[in-house]
Amino acid sequence: MKKQPKAIPGDLAMWFIIFAELLVFGIFFITYAVVRINNVDMFNHYQLTLNRETGAINTILLITASYFVVRSIHAVKLNKSKISSNYLYISITCGLLFILIKSIEFYDKFSIGIDLSTNTFYMFYFLLTLFHYFHVILGLMILVAVAVKTRKGHYNTDQYHGIETAGAYWHMVDLAWIIMFPLIYVIR
Amino acid sequence: MKLYNIHTVWLFLVLLTLMTYGLSYMDTNGVAVMLVLMLAAFVKGVMIIREFMELKGVSLLWRLIMYGWLTLVCLAIVAAYLMS
Repeated sequence: MKKQPKAIPGDLAMWFIIFAELLVFGIFFITYAVVRINNVDMFNHYQLTLNRETGAINTILLITASYFVVRSIHAVKLNKSKISSNYLYISITCGLLFILIKSIEFYDKFSIGIDLSTNTFYMFYFLLTLFHYFHVILGLMILVAVAVKTRKGHYNTDQYHGIETAGAYWHMVDLAWIIMFPLIYVIR
Repeated sequence: MKLYNIHTVWLFLVLLTLMTYGLSYMDTNGVAVMLVLMLAAFVKGVMIIREFMELKGVSLLWRLIMYGWLTLVCLAIVAAYLMS
């Protein structure tokens, strides 16, 4: 007998939001790469002014946050609500550290007079990273709401739809950054 | 026995990130380095979709949308870099 595909994790409506968000991120990424074709020297020069260390640390923070979201979902499926919410709080901490590091990075640029109007490279840098930054904040708000509900025992072996939905959104934020980090910080 | 689990996936993603960071200090604009970096980003994306989003085993349509997005974005970036 043919094996039936499993249901998509979380709420279907959230997945449509994720597809729409990824479409926008994808258009941004491709536009950056296409505009770079005629501005290679400028893009390569200003890319070197970015802090690759914080970029790499932020990537590891988002990956680690995603990892603990997965562990949280696995824990709630085993009826371990307290452990599940603890994992979510670790994810939230990683996300907050990402926001802190990114805020310092933005402050460093703004404080020396670099902003959206500096040049084409920095316009893309700020547009892309700020767009992603606000998605991380929204993702954190969703994770906090779900962590509180998990701690109160709203989710269990039979009811974990909400936590899966939150997880799917967070992983989308992670996925977008996975492309953004090499694209903006590394590839020349 | 499964060769990997969520812990090894996390470790592999971190190692690929460190490799990406290390390659950023290679003093070259070479095509090979760009291809390696984009391949690493693609592999990381596949792992996130498959293992973190847990889309392994869901309907083909959902997987096509997600892997299709990842493939299209990575190929478009590679094509644009090859043209520059």
